[in-house]
Amino acid sequence: MLQKLSTVFRFMLYKTNAKSLLVTIAIVSWALLLANVLFSAESAVETGAMQLAMPYINNLLIIIFIVSAFLHQRLSADNLKGIDFIGYLWNLFSKAGVAAYLSVALYLSYRLITGYANLQLPLLLHLVYMVNFGLLVIFLAKAFYIWRQLLLYHKNKFLQIAWDWFELLLFATLLLTLLNFDYTSYVFLPLLALLGFYILFLCTNLKWVAYLTFNNKTRSLVLLGAILLSCYIFARFFYQLADSKDLVIDITDIGFLPLAMVFVGFYTLAAFLVSLFSLPTSSVFEQKSADLLNFQRLSQSIQQGQSETQVYDMLFDSTIKAADGSAAWFELVRNSEPQVTHLLHIGSEQIDRIRHLLLAYNIHNIDYINNNLDRNPGFRELVLPWKSLIILPIKSKKNLFGVLYLLKDIEQGFDRETVNVLRTFTSQTILTIENLRLVSESLQNERYKEELKIATQVQESLIPKTFPVDSWFEISTHAVAAKEVGGDFYDFLQLSESRIAIIIGDVSGKGISAAFHMAQMKGIFHGLMQQDMAPSEFMKQANSALSRCLEKTSFITSSLYIIDYRMKGFVFARAGHCHTLYYNAMMDEVFYFQTEGMGLGIIRDKSYNNHVREMYYDYNSGDVMVMYTDGIVEGRSPANEEYGEERLLYMLTQTYHLDADDIKYAIINDLEDFTGPDNLYDDQTLLVIKFKTIQPKS
Amino acid sequence: MPMKITNEVKDTTIIITLDGELDASSSVVLDEELANPEIMKYSKILVNCKNLHYISSAGLGVFISHLQRLEDAQIKLVFFNMQDKVRNVFEILGLDLLMTIVSNYEEAITVSNE
Repeated sequence: MLQKLSTVFRFMLYKTNAKSLLVTIAIVSWALLLANVLFSAESAVETGAMQLAMPYINNLLIIIFIVSAFLHQRLSADNLKGIDFIGYLWNLFSKAGVAAYLSVALYLSYRLITGYANLQLPLLLHLVYMVNFGLLVIFLAKAFYIWRQLLLYHKNKFLQIAWDWFELLLFATLLLTLLNFDYTSYVFLPLLALLGFYILFLCTNLKWVAYLTFNNKTRSLVLLGAILLSCYIFARFFYQLADSKDLVIDITDIGFLPLAMVFVGFYTLAAFLVSLFSLPTSSVFEQKSADLLNFQRLSQSIQQGQSETQVYDMLFDSTIKAADGSAAWFELVRNSEPQVTHLLHIGSEQIDRIRHLLLAYNIHNIDYINNNLDRNPGFRELVLPWKSLIILPIKSKKNLFGVLYLLKDIEQGFDRETVNVLRTFTSQTILTIENLRLVSESLQNERYKEELKIATQVQESLIPKTFPVDSWFEISTHAVAAKEVGGDFYDFLQLSESRIAIIIGDVSGKGISAAFHMAQMKGIFHGLMQQDMAPSEFMKQANSALSRCLEKTSFITSSLYIIDYRMKGFVFARAGHCHTLYYNAMMDEVFYFQTEGMGLGIIRDKSYNNHVREMYYDYNSGDVMVMYTDGIVEGRSPANEEYGEERLLYMLTQTYHLDADDIKYAIINDLEDFTGPDNLYDDQTLLVIKFKTIQPKS
Repeated sequence: MPMKITNEVKDTTIIITLDGELDASSSVVLDEELANPEIMKYSKILVNCKNLHYISSAGLGVFISHLQRLEDAQIKLVFFNMQDKVRNVFEILGLDLLMTIVSNYEEAITVSNE
């Protein structure tokens, strides 16, 4: 940062140095030139022959003066930046243009003195001539480089190259002066013609004029006129004194100066004419650029986090400006109730009357243009001060956001062009409003996702991670959820040293409500089982509890098992849940327990009690019990077939001799082979219990 | 496979034909159908399940939620032509004890006239 600053500073210093050096060179060279000219004039008066001493040195001094003056202006012009074009013109006129008027004043005072005294003062004439020459060069240098800045406004590469060559060529003509060639000779005619065409071409680059507003154009016309006059004064002065016998020097011999003058003059003239003729159309362009700016503001309002109200404010202001409306109002539609939120030059009573009439004509929230209200008897009766009306509903396919009414006090107030602009505004507004709503919706969605994440965590915490490890049985569990929050659950509770209660279930529905019902079911399980009741009794009480809080379309299926390893038996009840798969080691048989039992929450009164049965079963070591949810048997293959109870049963006949873990893996792997990867429709839960002989406690 | 629900009216009987899979999204459509007050003017609702390939818990929930209301209005709800695997779902849940499920249309007519 510091280094950069110091570089900039050094550069500025260098620039200031260069500028003051150039100024010094210019002044010194001009002073030497003046001295030489005056000396020559003095000697000429004596000898009677008007001739310049040492023409080559003279030419060299002229070139040094011109080049240093131009280079100085070249450096100065770089400071001009931005689009304050009037500032450029004022700069040119105030610092250089006035030089012409000064030169006129000088010459006139010389004429006055000589005329009054009636004598010849060749030295004074030379002095005036040389001062004017200096002023001319300063004027040309300044004008040349300010015009360069304007000419290259919005430049492209081609234009930049064209200009660079022009500058180079122009300075090259100074060589002719150095070698004392007469540039008007025929040899140089093609070069002059070429330069002339070149100048004409360059004068067509006037893009900056288009950016002037109407007011600025009128001001620029005055300034350009004054600069044009300066050009004329200089040209006239020097051509009048060209080939004068009273002067030892004639600067019109320097080809560079007339060429630079032609360029400056032409460009000024071109700018003057273009400004003049674009004056009538400038208001149109001003309107267009204002419209564009407003479009931009509308479309940017989303990034700027603006509210809908601010968007409507913008719409109201922009459309009134774009249509040059005399009066307007805007109705915001909330819950299909219109509400006037913006008013301009119209009373609410007038609005009511117009609305009433429109309703009578059945014109309601539709696109409507009436460019001659007086021709309509209904509107004529209202005696409104307006003659044109346009109605612009702000609506998307689904929603009506609001309605904009614009009025104008002239007939045919809304021509096609205006209506197009207005429609663009309204469609941009609709887009903006819809996007604003989308943004807020997606924000809510984010919040919802966040909640879902919490629900998933809650659910995960509801499912036990570890079962009690004991010597008399092995248990292995598997649970996956199809969506973030599933409806499957299982749990256990150690009732006494030798008894354990295990529950498995499935809540209908998905998402957060399912998670809540799951939590409820877990609470009911732990609450009721504290009292150590029979499974069928549990189902009855659970049904009664759930009947009061479950939604109408929801129900829960569940199976509850109480295993007593001291008695080597278990009792269970099924409430609409999938049948339990069982392997009896003594009989060497695999089967489903076919018990009756209705789901919870289906019948919500006492009659449910008749629909649940319980069953007692003695187990042997080596028996396997498989509990699962419908996500297992309803697993789908790509061909849309169901996994089914048959295949599950077959899997157990093949694997019952394995450990509980291995049985589970075998079933899950087979299921995955069947459904294929990533084909999860429903939650899947699987519990495998393998009974073992009680090991004597050591 | 999207669900197709078609209605056929014969006097005071409406026959609803379910075609496809009754999952979470299609059960919303069925719910609207059954919640329609128009349905209360019939005395029998026969549900043709011939092309019902799958019923989710949401689909079952729709029938369960309307069961009491139809019973109170003494409107008979009869399912017929049900595929075995769908019937199995009804049976596991114990719904076969609450709802009338018969094998064909003629039987459905007979049962509903009782």
